[in-house]
This record gives sequence, structure tokens and C-alpha cells, in this order.
Amino acid sequence: MEAAGGRLLVNTPSIGAAVHAIALNTFREAIRDRILYLLLVFALTLIGVSRLLSLLTVGNEEKIIKDMGLSAISLFGVLTAVFVGVSLVFKEIERGTVYTLLANPVRRWQFVAGKFLGLLTVLAMNVGLMSLALGGLLLLRGESPWPLLPAIALILVELVVITAFALLFSSLTNPVLAALMTFAIYVLGHLTWSLELLSAKLEGGLAVRLVDALYWMMPNLDRLNLKATAVHGLPLEPGFVTLGVVYGLSYAVVILGLACVAFERKEFN
Amino acid sequence: MLPRVLFLVTMAAVGTLAGFSRGALDRLAEGTSAEQELLYLPNGKYLKVMSLGHANLLADGIYLWAIQYYSNYERKQRQRYVEHIFGDVITELDPRYVDAYWLGALIMIVENHDLEAGLRLLEKGIERNPEQWILPYLAAWECYHGKQYSRAAAFFEQAAAIPGAPDVVRRMRAGMMTKVGSLREALALWRAILGESASDRLSVVIAKRKIRELETRLDVETLQAAVDRFRKENGHYPSRLGELERRRYIRALPLASDGRPYRYDAATGTVSSKSGRMLGKL
Amino acid sequence: MHRPTIEHDREMRTAEPMPGRNTSATPVIRMRGVSKSFTGHLNIGRKVAVEDLELEIRPGEIFGLLGPNGAGKTTTFKMLLALLRPDRGQVRLFDRPPSDPAARARLGYLPENPYFYNYLTAAEFLDFYGRLQGIPAAERRGRVRETLRRVGLEGLEGTALRKFSKGMVQRLGLAQAIQHDPELLILDEPMSGLDPIGRRDVRDLILSMRAAGRTVLFSSHILQDAEMICDRIAILDKGRLRSVGRLDEMVASGVEWFEVTVRGAFALPAGVTLLSRDGQRSLLRVSAVESLAELMAVVRESGAEVFSIWPKRKTLEDLFLREIRANRPDGARR
Repeated sequence: MEAAGGRLLVNTPSIGAAVHAIALNTFREAIRDRILYLLLVFALTLIGVSRLLSLLTVGNEEKIIKDMGLSAISLFGVLTAVFVGVSLVFKEIERGTVYTLLANPVRRWQFVAGKFLGLLTVLAMNVGLMSLALGGLLLLRGESPWPLLPAIALILVELVVITAFALLFSSLTNPVLAALMTFAIYVLGHLTWSLELLSAKLEGGLAVRLVDALYWMMPNLDRLNLKATAVHGLPLEPGFVTLGVVYGLSYAVVILGLACVAFERKEFN
Repeated sequence: MLPRVLFLVTMAAVGTLAGFSRGALDRLAEGTSAEQELLYLPNGKYLKVMSLGHANLLADGIYLWAIQYYSNYERKQRQRYVEHIFGDVITELDPRYVDAYWLGALIMIVENHDLEAGLRLLEKGIERNPEQWILPYLAAWECYHGKQYSRAAAFFEQAAAIPGAPDVVRRMRAGMMTKVGSLREALALWRAILGESASDRLSVVIAKRKIRELETRLDVETLQAAVDRFRKENGHYPSRLGELERRRYIRALPLASDGRPYRYDAATGTVSSKSGRMLGKL
Repeated sequence: MHRPTIEHDREMRTAEPMPGRNTSATPVIRMRGVSKSFTGHLNIGRKVAVEDLELEIRPGEIFGLLGPNGAGKTTTFKMLLALLRPDRGQVRLFDRPPSDPAARARLGYLPENPYFYNYLTAAEFLDFYGRLQGIPAAERRGRVRETLRRVGLEGLEGTALRKFSKGMVQRLGLAQAIQHDPELLILDEPMSGLDPIGRRDVRDLILSMRAAGRTVLFSSHILQDAEMICDRIAILDKGRLRSVGRLDEMVASGVEWFEVTVRGAFALPAGVTLLSRDGQRSLLRVSAVESLAELMAVVRESGAEVFSIWPKRKTLEDLFLREIRANRPDGARR
């Protein structure tokens, strides 16, 4: 083995370059994860099956296709976000690849950000593929798929939030617990109306304040649910989608911030 | 130090943004979400398939939600989909959910004043739960409140036929018969209740009273009919009730339960009973 | 014969660097009073990994951190890389904390038993690290090829890592460590898993790094390799530094004792110990040259025969074992 030439290099990568490199690598890794394809195949099959199920109903057949299609995109998106997301950080730590990575002039938060963006890209691709399948099926039946776009957009936003949680928990604990906790957040996020009801029923004082605090802190994923509006072609309040995007993204950023803090303080022994 | 401060400030700012947008979203969603929630519940048949064996639980969940939802009087137009929720969703998910049938029916009848819809739901429940006497019983009551006495009677009969139905059901049936005006049938029913050894003490006491009442009423009816016939044929009222017996308008002169004859006012030709006040309006 | 005393005293550490080396004053690595312990789950059980570590690595030297398994070598390295935070004490790389990326930019690291992304090709792998190391895009491609050549993996740019043997993975690990021309190399067991040719190659690489004015810190439990190339060494055992110093001063080149085989009967003089006897043959231990002369005389007088004389020189292994055993009063191996 030979020595190098005399010139010394002292370069730290720019933030964008570092995050981009990690994101690209994460994308390449996630793309090769078999779980991804399994889920994708399931989702596409479901969309196909909805076509068959629509034969069972009386009346609007397309409703079934739209319902199942949107739910499949949402559900499998969440499953992908959880299963691929929690293993991302864990695998790097488990296999030791994180050591050589962090030995380089990269900051820990850049690592988290890169993982996040890489996974998001994969998710966006997935959602895109499934949406194309759904849209194609609807077009074939002479039905316009465009009203479904706002719902799909907010589904994507929901996935952003769930991914942020997946990363947060995977920085804190092992993949099984992390997956369970992320699912718990997903379920709770769709049950925030029960918190609202509970708050109205309580007598007041500390209990009410606790429940109210929980109501505000939990991500209200149901607000990002436009499936009914999309499927029934109901009028959408102007600016709703924009607000939804703002809410989802800002919430996700806060959770990511927490994930960065958790990862920053992590000891690798 | 500086990066940390910057980080905290950024987090606070973004968090506030999240909070505000959440508030705005909540406000926007307030008006519309009600409709959407209701509309988006697919038929119970589909839900059943999707629930992967947890249909009962899902029925419970929706039932609980529906209770909360419908107790919120401030919501406008919440009545529109009651029949769908209770009839097509909850009871399709769990056809044996007796509570859901009668609660749904109750909401429709009391809030919507839609007796037919309520009865539809109850009949669906009766069909699916033939061993539940409570459903026809409640249907009967609703008919009674809606002054549809013959239907009430039919429902009471249906309920009474179900084994395990308490005595009150048979009493109500007999009472409905009276209401409808089928006094003889009512009398027969009361006599049957009295005769049945399984009847409880309360039923026996009530039956005795009712039988007395009904016999009195029937007697008065018969006598009054005879008086009116007398008048028609003779042009004037009989002077005494005994005349009816003598002139063979009736076979035998019935006596009131206290052993005394019935009262008769020759001037107006009205037969009445002394125990009028006990019987109420005759 | 003078035997140098070995203590972990400060004089050793302030010894003059070898002539011809870069003698800038700032040490490349400085650890002062560093301690680290780990608590088990639920805060039960506290295991001390490293205790009160004082270490200084100077520019241009090859430093070997030696010690048995579990001594705390890897923990020490992790603290140098900000993968762990010390409970007490101070760690400085180029006079900056390891958490500062500018400090880490000047080093290259090879972990023990490296594992790399199976799904990448060698070129993609080095390109990824090149980006993290801040190598501009225009240069990266050439550098990747050059580095692969330097570690003996030329032509394998397009080969997927899952096809690499263990030795190839080790070389690739070295590749990512040297790709950006770091001033400091930190290598954790760089020779493990390599065949003798590979080990020689690694030794040559380390030597060539020193020749180019770079500093190398590596850990090993293969003492022969350390003996061959290190300028200074430190022996770490159970989290504590047992000794630090220049190799050539710690391992005297003189003879420690003589192993003599004699055939026949004779009287044992002072300073000579009988190790074993097999019939007529005696195996003796002679601690000093003077005693040797005396033994020769006695043997000649008795009419016995000196069969063989074997001078025993102290090796690093002896020093190592002695230090380790001294740390275990009951003589236990672990």
C-alpha cells in the first residue's frame, strides 16, 4: 500500500452535501428492502380486488374502488413508514456502519435529517405508484380521479408525520418497541375526537387540563383525512389543504427536532 | 451555546406554527366534519368483512360514538342518518345487538317523530332476535304512545307469545284490547291471566279488578243496547230495567258486582252503574 | 546489566520525539483524566470501562494501544470519535473537542470487524464517504480509483460489497479511512482477519503514513506487529494505563537471562536455578553473565558437559504479560 501525495485536505462537507449523501444512501438501502415490495404488491392487489368487490355493491361501484384505493394507499404507506423507518437507524447501529459514518465530519442531526429525507423519497415514490394504479383504474372506468388528489396529498402529509415519529422512537429504543409506539401514535392520532369528548365530560380542574394538553399535543391525523370529501365529491373549504400541509409539516419538524436531540445524546457502546 | 439557543428558538417557532394551523384546521373542520363522519361509515356488511372478526367490537365502538354524537343537542341536522347508522351499520355489524335496535328506534321516534322508521328498525330487530320479548314490547309501547292501539295490541300479543315474557306483557295486551274496544276479547284475556297458575299476585289482583270492570261495562252495554232497541220498537223508554226482562229484550237481568241492580234513568233511557267512579268513563 | 524500570511516570511521556519527525508542539491527541463507566439496566451494576486515562499522541508517530480483550481500547477510541462522552476528563483532537466536525475532518477511522453496506459497489461506497469527507465532486471519481489502487483493490470499482471476502472488506475499510488524506489515522485492530500478506501490507501502509508525516494510532493484541512498527506504546488493562513509553526504551535489547542445558552431575552455584532434570540432563536458569562464568567453571571442574546455552531476550510479550499479571494478584488470567 502506498502513501498519498503531499497535499493535505481539510474539508468539512456543506450541510446540504452531507444530508444529500446520507439521504441518497438511505434511499438506496430502503429501495432494496424486501418489505417495501411486499407491501407495494399487497396494496396494488387490494386496488385490483376493489374492482372485483365493486361488483357486489348496488349503485355506485366506483365508490368502492375509491374507498379501498385511498385506504390502501394510506394504510400501506403507514406500514412502510413504520417498518422501514424503525429499522433504518437500528440497522446502522446494529451493524456498526454508523461508527465510520459519524467518525467523518458529519453532525449527528444531519444523519437524522438524511435518513428522514431518504425514507420520505421512497414513501413518495410508493404513494405515487399506488396513486397511478388507482388513477389508471378509475380512468379506465371513465371516472375522473382528480378529486382524489387533495386526499392523497394529505395522506402524504400524514406519512411525513408518522415517519418523523418512527425515526424518533428508533433513536430511543429497539425496533419492536419503536414500531409499537409509532403504531400507538397512529391509532391515537385518529382517536383525538374521543379526547375532545372526554374533555367535555370531565368535571374540570387538573383532569380537564391534562386531557386538553394531550388533545393538543397528539397529532390530529384525522384532520388530514379527506377521504370522505374526495370520494363523495363534497366541497372543500378553500385553504384546507394548505393548512393541513402546514400543520403536518410543522408538526413533523418538531418531532424531527426531538429525534435529533435524542440521537445527539445517544451513547454508542 | 448559540446553536442550542437557535435550535430551541426554531423549535418554538415551528411548534407555534403547528399550533396555529391546528387551531385553524379545527375551526374549518367544525362545520363539515359532522357530515363527513356520518357519510363515511360504509354499510355494515363491508365493515364486517374489514373488521377481521372484530365486528362485535366495532359495533360497540360505533354504538358508543353514536350515543355521544346524538346526545349532543347542539349539532344541527344530526338526525339525517340515524336510520343508516343504527339500521345499516351497527345492526349489520352485530345483528344481535338488542340495545342498538331500541335506542335507534327511540331516537327516531322521539327526536324525529318518525314512528314508522322506528318501527321498521324494531321489526328488523324482532326478526333477528325472536327470543327477545323486549323488542316487540317496546314496539307496542311506541304504538300506544302514537295512539295506534290495534298495532300496539298486535305487538303485545307477539311479545306475550315469547317464552320468558313477564306478566306485565300479557296485562298490557289485555289493556290494549280494552283500549281498542274489543272488550270481550280483553275479558277473555283477563280471565286467562286469572286462571293461569303461573301468574303472580299482582297480576291476579289486577285481573280480578279488570274482570269486574269489563263485566260491568259489558253488562251496561248490553242493557243499553236493549233499552235502545225497546225504544225503537216501542217508541218510549221502558220505565224500569225489569221490563226488559219481562218483555224478553234480555234473557236475564244482570246485577252489578255489589249485588245491586244497575241504575236506570227512565227519562233519558241511560243505563249506568253505581260504581261509575271506579270504572272511569264508561 | 541494567534493566530499565517501567512505571507509568510522566518522564516517559515527555521524552524527545525521534529525530526527523514533525516536532510541532501541539499533540494530535490529548486525553486528560478521562474516565468512563457504564451502568447496567435500571442502574444496577456499574462497570468501569476506563479509569483516569492520561494519554498524549504526538504528531508523526506510530502509537500502539495494547491490551487484552475488554481492557477498554475500543471505549477509548469511541471517546476520541465522540461516539461516547467521558464521564470525567477532557478529550482533545488537534486541540479541539471531538464533537467538532472540523477536528474529525482531519482523521480517518477503521473500526474493529467493519461491516459495510452490502448493496453498494466499492466505488459507490467510497463515493459516499467521499461526500461525507467533503471531497468535491470533480475530484471524487479520481480519488476513489486512486484509493482503491492504494489498498490493492484496483479494478473492483463495480463489484458489489456482498461479494467481498473478509480481507477485502478490511482493505476497503482502510480505503475509506485514508481516502481524504487525513493527518491522523485511528485503527482498531487493523490486522485482524488478515493473512500474513495482508498484515504486511497494512504494516507497510502505516509506515508509509509516518513517512509522509502523518500520525497513526492503532490498537492490537497481536504484539509482534506492534513490536515491528510502533514508536511508542501504551498497555491498557482493566481500564487503566499500566505503562506508556517509547518501545525501544521499554523493551531492552539486552539479554535477560540464559537457559543452559548441562549433562552430568555438578554442584549448583549461586545465581543459578534448576528448572528441571531429565536423567543426566539438567535445565538451568542463569540470571546474570557473572553467574554464567561461574557455572562454566563449576561444570568444567565436575567433568560435566555444557550442552547448550540460549540467551533469552525480553520481548514486548514478556513486558505485556508481566504487566497484565501484576494487575491480577491472584494470578488469574482474566
